[in-house]
Amino acid sequence: MNPNYIQGIWNTRYFWIHLSLSDLRSRWRRSFFGVFWSMLQPLGITLLISFVFSRFFATDITKYAPYILSGILIWDFLIANVTGGALSFVQADAYIKQCQHPLAIYTLRTVLTALIVLMMASVPLIGWVLVVMPENFGICWLSVLCVFPLLVLIAWPLATFMAYVGVRFRDLPPTLALAMQALWFVSPVYFEVKLFREGGLDKLVDYNPIYHLLQVIRAPLLQGEWPTIENYLFCFSTSILFFMLAIWLGSTAERKVIFYL
Amino acid sequence: MTNNFISLDKVNLHYASVAYKERSLKSWMANALKTRRKKPVISDIHALKDVSLNIQQGEKVGLLGHNGAGKSTFLKTIAGLYPISGGKLHIQGQVRSLFDLSLGFEPEATGRENILYRGLLLGLSPKFIGEKEEEIIKFADIGAFIDYPIKTYSAGMQVRLAFSISTSVGGDILLLDEVIGAGDANFMAKAKARIASLIEQSKILVLASHDFSSLKSLCNRGVVLHQGEMIFDGEIRSAIDIYNKVNGIAI
Repeated sequence: MNPNYIQGIWNTRYFWIHLSLSDLRSRWRRSFFGVFWSMLQPLGITLLISFVFSRFFATDITKYAPYILSGILIWDFLIANVTGGALSFVQADAYIKQCQHPLAIYTLRTVLTALIVLMMASVPLIGWVLVVMPENFGICWLSVLCVFPLLVLIAWPLATFMAYVGVRFRDLPPTLALAMQALWFVSPVYFEVKLFREGGLDKLVDYNPIYHLLQVIRAPLLQGEWPTIENYLFCFSTSILFFMLAIWLGSTAERKVIFYL
Repeated sequence: MTNNFISLDKVNLHYASVAYKERSLKSWMANALKTRRKKPVISDIHALKDVSLNIQQGEKVGLLGHNGAGKSTFLKTIAGLYPISGGKLHIQGQVRSLFDLSLGFEPEATGRENILYRGLLLGLSPKFIGEKEEEIIKFADIGAFIDYPIKTYSAGMQVRLAFSISTSVGGDILLLDEVIGAGDANFMAKAKARIASLIEQSKILVLASHDFSSLKSLCNRGVVLHQGEMIFDGEIRSAIDIYNKVNGIAI
């Protein structure tokens, strides 16, 4: 990735920021509740799931609900970037065919849109935790803010990689949806970590970047603790890995994308 | 002031053939498993063959060639959209191109918002677009529809708006693929005048067209492309003669 490429991303900042805002406007314009829909929708699903699951596992619904909600939020964000990312270039074909801008701005648009939706949706989560578990509030909540840039560092290269592949293989999104579903089952997104550990599946937790990513937001909110160094190490390694994959693929695929559109 | 120029040295361009084959993970994996079945071979398309050309400041170049000769590919290569597979390409100056005008609106957003997005796509600043907005709306002649989503527009209205935005700024190097005929007769006249003034502002013009009369009036140099090769480069009238001869058209 040469400096010109990064410069190009910076020079076109107005363009991709406005595209992202346009996505948000049209998303919220379509729904009756507008912006609030992004907050209500995950909240509604959380209430439903936690009502059922708290009976299954005999846990306290008020404490289990924020666990599920945090899982839903981060998971929705990842899904939006993986499957949305695979379509980023395909959807931007009209722009790509007319102007030569760095292609990564089109995945940045996808990531930014998903990030703003996530930020909106985290407001009820934080509110809920403040009401139910006010004792958790403290300086360690700073790490909740850190999760947003961290998510961009993971999601942007991932979405870009998927976009390069998605423009070549048009049946990628349904395949990814399947893969993500499989990933969901082996990750502590809705299911509690202790269930994995009780079943002797520690490895699915300890070596799972999704667990570590979720801990960055769950440790402060739900346990009132700082995330561990290990949590951050896993997140950054994942980010670096995705960056390397995206740059490697982009170095050969970037200029050819226009032929596939 | 910098000198604007376009310089091509033995430029080759191939369209990757994979793009025309069936492209799915499913077929890709199926092919990996069974390789024996014979299929018609689709090879890369060699769209530009060893094209060498120098265009200096002040030149107005007309591109001639029948459909598929490589005119549009040539223009898009100069615009930096297509990656060349061989040779050297140097461009000095800001390129402004008018190709597929109807492309690239956000259908859910209003006309006014789309003026902003398209302006930003062209690399303009939000402030500059704000200043130009009223002029663009006036030229497009869309009226109250400017505050409606683009998806409610007729095809003609979309083209008019797109044309109005894209031609609101000039550049050093102007690339035109056919002189655009957009909208009704009334708008056509306005559009032609606008194009003429853009051409006047530009330092270099490359125009691909089949319209001999506009080529003769706008250009002073002609380049004839035939099956991806440059077969003539010289005075525009001789270029038109060569083009007619190659394609067997009696004058």
